[in-house]
Amino acid sequence: MLELQPILARLTQWSAVESLRSPTIQHALVALLLMAPTAASMGVQVVTFRMAFFSDAISHSAFAGVALGLLLSIDPRVSTPAFGVLVAVAIVAYMRRSELPSDTITGVVFAAVVAAGLAAISRERDVARTVQTYVYGDVLTVAPSDLWLLLALFLLVAAFQVIAYNHTMVMGVSPVVAEVHGVRVARLQYLFAVLLALVVMFAVRTVGVFLVTAMLIVPATAARNLARTAGSMFWWAQAIAITSACAGLLISLDERINTATGATVVLVAFLWFLLSALVAYRRAPRRP
Amino acid sequence: MNEDAVRFEHVTVVANGVTILEDVSASVPMGSCTMVVGPNGAGKTTLLQALLGQIRHSGHIHIARSEEGRTLRIGYVPQRLSFDRGMPLTVLELLASPWQRRPLWFGVGQEHFERAQQALERVHASGLARRRIGALSGGELQRVLVAFALLNEPELLVLDEPTAGMDVHGEQVFCELIEELRRTHGFTQIMVSHDIATVTHHASHVLCLNRQLIAEGPPREVLTRDNLRKAFGVHAGLAKLEALPPESPEAACSAKKNDA
Repeated sequence: MLELQPILARLTQWSAVESLRSPTIQHALVALLLMAPTAASMGVQVVTFRMAFFSDAISHSAFAGVALGLLLSIDPRVSTPAFGVLVAVAIVAYMRRSELPSDTITGVVFAAVVAAGLAAISRERDVARTVQTYVYGDVLTVAPSDLWLLLALFLLVAAFQVIAYNHTMVMGVSPVVAEVHGVRVARLQYLFAVLLALVVMFAVRTVGVFLVTAMLIVPATAARNLARTAGSMFWWAQAIAITSACAGLLISLDERINTATGATVVLVAFLWFLLSALVAYRRAPRRP
Repeated sequence: MNEDAVRFEHVTVVANGVTILEDVSASVPMGSCTMVVGPNGAGKTTLLQALLGQIRHSGHIHIARSEEGRTLRIGYVPQRLSFDRGMPLTVLELLASPWQRRPLWFGVGQEHFERAQQALERVHASGLARRRIGALSGGELQRVLVAFALLNEPELLVLDEPTAGMDVHGEQVFCELIEELRRTHGFTQIMVSHDIATVTHHASHVLCLNRQLIAEGPPREVLTRDNLRKAFGVHAGLAKLEALPPESPEAACSAKKNDA
């Protein structure tokens, strides 16, 4: 397999920032530069389809995924994404068949997966120890092998967005109108749910359960405030995610600040959101 | 052409133990302006949902085939939409989305831009291209949705009470627009309407529904006091049946079509 380290070392040898010469930080930077745009592009649809709660439910299923892995002697790095995908597909399948509101269905599944996770944690000490990794996440612990998986996910999501972005926008207006006019709604809903589950489960390990949804929706929401078209919303989300990731990493590494990287990235994105809200407020027509 | 564009055969819809439609058998003649009337809860929208394959039903819905042997292409204009009005999707982007392969983040291509502009001109809404869909008024959004449906080159246009919430004038203008489009494009139209006056002026074929089919045929034969009382109850007397055109609207519609 292609060795990543020599490439990164060459790329960063002239960097003015001392810490970027450390392999750990280089891996973290690459992970963030792959994860942030991937999450932000999915975030555009999460915001459009109002699926923030859905992504929360998936991220919280990580605990049960870890427990299941340990129970079946499967590596948690495999069992958590697999369980997340299963939960996502189950929610979508039930939503499509049930008259119940989608947030109610998501809420019930959310409760079930959290309860299953907590039950496992309370019983098995091993689970509790592994779950810690997922509660707070740490981008500085990303291994080079994870980066290749992340790159594969980045490319998969990019391919999905190239092929399906336009159709998902029509679905955001009305799934029925979209379907009648040739959009394969069911297929796209399932595909989107599976990809979202994979992105969420990767992001959980870098920023933790609490901040995953923020990685998805904060850049996309700020982008929504700034963009004048659905096309430019995509680019704004990318720009906000990437600048927040880079700035967040550098700020968190500063010795005077020394904060958790994931949290710092989200805080920078939130500053973008505040700025965007101001722009949206100034643009909005005044009521007489 | 004598063939029916759509034939409903013993269609029954039951949802959550409630029968919404019961053994409805009716037809939509090819090239007609068919209107579905009935009180609230009569199952009008459900009938269209069944036609569009959006709801489970028993019985059979037969959609005619085109000369090329495929099922008629459908265009659909919904009643009202509940979407995120803050989403920055423009009218132009919406009209290009299902047909443009290039993702919208690289902009709307020239070919799709021109198609969308033409569709907007057909519905007299060319000024709306750059507007956000969330910023459109109810009437403007309906026109855009008609333009969207036209881009599918429909042979069957399905409209679910598109004039709900419009004032009388707005409704009249909208119906005249659809009639003009039907003459130029030659599609069959099936439309739900809550307003008997609209039906008397524009329909060539009427389905009168109240969970079951009460009557179907030309407006003069269907919109009788007896049928309306069966469908709507005592308020049926409010319908001005004398407002019906002297000759059968079906004949009038086909005459207009032949002229075109």
